[in-house]
Amino acid sequence: MWKKLHKHAEEIGARHLHELFSGDEQRFERLHRRTGPLLYDFSRQRLTGETLELLFRLADERELGDWIERLYSGERINSTEDRAAMHWALRMPDDSVEPVAGQTLLADVQAQLERMERIVAQLHAGQWRGCTGEVIRDVVNIGVGGSDLGPLMISRALEDHRAPDARELSVHFVSSMDGSQVSHLLHRLRPETTLFVISSKSFTTVDTLYNAATAHSWLSRAMDSDDSAVLRCHFLGVSAQPERMSRWGIRPENQLRLWDWVGGRYSVWSAIGLPVALITGMEGFRELLAGAWSMDRHFRTTPWRDNIPVLMALIGVWNTNFLDINAHAILPYDGRLKYLPAFLEQLEMESNGKSVTRDGRPVESRTCPIIWGDVGPNAQHAFYQLLHQGTEPVTCDFIAPVLRYREGRHDAAQQELLPQHDLALANCLAQSRLLALGEKALPETAPTDLFRRYHGNQPSATILLDELNPYSMGALVALYEHKVFTQSVIWGINPFDQWGVEMGKEIARSTLDMIRDGGQGREQVDGATLGLVDFIRRQRKGEE
Amino acid sequence: MHLEIYGDRLCAAVAAGAFASTGNQVVLRAGAGPVGQSLARGQCPFREPGVERLLAEQQASGRLLLGALDEGPDDSADAVFLALEPHELEQALELVRRIGAREQNRWLLINQSSFPVGSTERLQQELDAVRPAPAPPAEVVSLPDLLREGTAIEGYTRPGHWLLGCVSLWAEKRVREILRPFNRRRDDMLVMSPREAEFTRLAITGMLATRLSFMNDMATLADTLSVDIEAVRQGVGADPRIGEAYLYPGCGFGGPNFSRDVMSLASTLAHSGVGSELLEQVLAINERQKEILFRKLWRHYGTDISGRGIAIWGAAFKPGTTRVDNAPVLRLIDALLAQGARVRIHDPEALPELMEHYRGQAGIEPCEDPYEAAREADALMLVTEWKSYWSPDFDKLRSLMNTPLILDGRNIYAPEHVRECGFEYYGIGRG
Repeated sequence: MWKKLHKHAEEIGARHLHELFSGDEQRFERLHRRTGPLLYDFSRQRLTGETLELLFRLADERELGDWIERLYSGERINSTEDRAAMHWALRMPDDSVEPVAGQTLLADVQAQLERMERIVAQLHAGQWRGCTGEVIRDVVNIGVGGSDLGPLMISRALEDHRAPDARELSVHFVSSMDGSQVSHLLHRLRPETTLFVISSKSFTTVDTLYNAATAHSWLSRAMDSDDSAVLRCHFLGVSAQPERMSRWGIRPENQLRLWDWVGGRYSVWSAIGLPVALITGMEGFRELLAGAWSMDRHFRTTPWRDNIPVLMALIGVWNTNFLDINAHAILPYDGRLKYLPAFLEQLEMESNGKSVTRDGRPVESRTCPIIWGDVGPNAQHAFYQLLHQGTEPVTCDFIAPVLRYREGRHDAAQQELLPQHDLALANCLAQSRLLALGEKALPETAPTDLFRRYHGNQPSATILLDELNPYSMGALVALYEHKVFTQSVIWGINPFDQWGVEMGKEIARSTLDMIRDGGQGREQVDGATLGLVDFIRRQRKGEE
Repeated sequence: MHLEIYGDRLCAAVAAGAFASTGNQVVLRAGAGPVGQSLARGQCPFREPGVERLLAEQQASGRLLLGALDEGPDDSADAVFLALEPHELEQALELVRRIGAREQNRWLLINQSSFPVGSTERLQQELDAVRPAPAPPAEVVSLPDLLREGTAIEGYTRPGHWLLGCVSLWAEKRVREILRPFNRRRDDMLVMSPREAEFTRLAITGMLATRLSFMNDMATLADTLSVDIEAVRQGVGADPRIGEAYLYPGCGFGGPNFSRDVMSLASTLAHSGVGSELLEQVLAINERQKEILFRKLWRHYGTDISGRGIAIWGAAFKPGTTRVDNAPVLRLIDALLAQGARVRIHDPEALPELMEHYRGQAGIEPCEDPYEAAREADALMLVTEWKSYWSPDFDKLRSLMNTPLILDGRNIYAPEHVRECGFEYYGIGRG
């Protein structure tokens, strides 16, 4: 099938998107799909009906249906770590059948949700107290990677859906290991009214533990309470490792759990999503889970031709492997989705940035493309120039909500804000049109100067949400999760491990010793490292 | 004279009784709500000292009659008083339109409602708008309600001064005549524009609240400096530029009017685009202060009070009233219950209102007897300084309580003495 697709690509790959559209008034009708709160338009992809048929056969050939069932059966499909990947179990409704015979997943998940609910209720009621008895007003999430990007992205996206009793609560995020975020934040906060959530699946992540230690000292310096009171009133922990949380000093009643069968970048559905629940309330958080679960059902039960995550994945494979496009931009036309590109960078590139197949051989084709992005209207003033007139082919996902500013909080300014949303939508549609059709999208007065010409033919998809709310957000994120999984099946790789990241952490440890006390292990490192370490040490000595 | 008084507020009842008692013919027109119903049944809806007797006597004399809010006034009325709640501005406008259309009378409306600044002018405009051209003019004046609960009758019949917001000489003359019996010792009437009068009332409240919050801030500082705020308070109050009133630190102020007026002032300033950081702080300090006893207890018990039994003396926002609106005790009880403590509470007057507020809530138990509330308690919190709490039997208390610990939210006890009686003692700013 792979060969057939290559041959097919040779036949149609040279056809410009404007050719595909011209004379075909039904193209959009045929090439868009709708499920729940989402519309997926792929009519601006460089493909035909035949391409899709071939891609569906490729999916069958790679046993996609079987793999989906293996995912949802709780099999240990994360083979290199010998773990299951059951993030989907976190969003099962509580009246579901226990998915894996003999286990208590459902009950475990619900128990943690109830625990979250108690904590959220206490904070929203203004009754979580610091050790001087003052009301906690600021919650700081300390985490990195999956323990940061997911909760950060979704809680900022759902700011308009803030629960009424979350009015006075501010939620902050600290991730960077160099301490710049934490020190900037701590200057502005009062220790007496600040609660820290230490979020780390392994509870060994050094970035997080260093930031947590800084927060701990900041609290201890400011308050004359004994340490156990500080820990009891000012620290929550979220981890799959209760013993490590306890050893650090997190009180058992302040511990929230997740499990080894949840990957870090898939963990926002667990207690890692606490910051989201602190914004939206548990009702909103459960809506988020319900939206994701609706996408689970869609993914499991819909034939390939109507299965949106599968279509997205296969089209991505087509672009990467057969049209040789190796860059993909995420372009939300809604400022609330500011952190979506960063979130998807991790989800896609950490999952599918692999070059070894599940059976241990080097892959024979390209895998995950380079993914980046920004809020669309801002990116228009930044990197769109490259998309329009550069030399690199790039595919884009344009993402926008249809309805906006309907929430009560916008009452006063609604009249001014609605036209701004219309403007954003108009830009979204205009940019994707120009990227696809190039100057054919313009009136027939094509300029002769080359520097004014638009070659077009950049494929894109448009995803419209009826409205950006917890439910549609859940569906959108789950959509990308399943896209990533589907692509991993086609490429034959394991999307759930991240060994490349682990090794970096390892060698940082020995390098740290070298920076601090010189000598140790110098013979094992390269000349560049030695040169840089020596320069750093010399500079510091000069300062002393 | 014939006076008609509209409204449910304490001020309406006190004015009705007071004017009837000096020989006027008065109709008191309350709404259809609980206050009106209670009056219609011949009961007194206010627990304010003396009001029940005053109303009963005047009704018996025949000079005080009851009427309905949406009826009247009689054409013979010499003045119409409005003593409505802040949310009843629409009713006031409706009444004004009703009256204004009746042309034969030269109406005088005396506004004692706690409406926002500018409302008296608005009523006047409404009145002018419906007034047919040849009819005699009609006037609305502002006579702000400066009553203090607990001494309301005294405050009405022997006030230190009256604030009158009025631009018409005719209206001023008639108001002076109506108030003549209560303005005898010397002329204590300050006349200004209606808007100024309304604003003055808010400013008075704002100033008093500011003094209290300032003293509470000083008390917090005194705690950290091991200074007794009581000595400081007396010293500060002795300065004639400052005076003694409203300098008592404590666990926060409340009540239906006081906090509402400060909030109203703060929001008036916010809406006018000026904003007032000072008043916002005054309110914020007060809200924090309402939880000060909780914070002291929380620290005393090492941030864990789950399962502790806590006795509270006093629920009313101040002695002499049954009201718990915005009272510090509410914030305090909420905090205690949220941390899993059990509360037993006594108050001589306000328990029915308090228990109505906490209807169906577990963990709080009203007690008929103050010592009963303290039985097996891990702490006793004094929240309202009712006279009956000033000199308790400390030995009896100690023997009843689990842990002899007193948190005095009004600084009514002498720390030395309480400690000698075997208690641990926390006051507000007592070092």
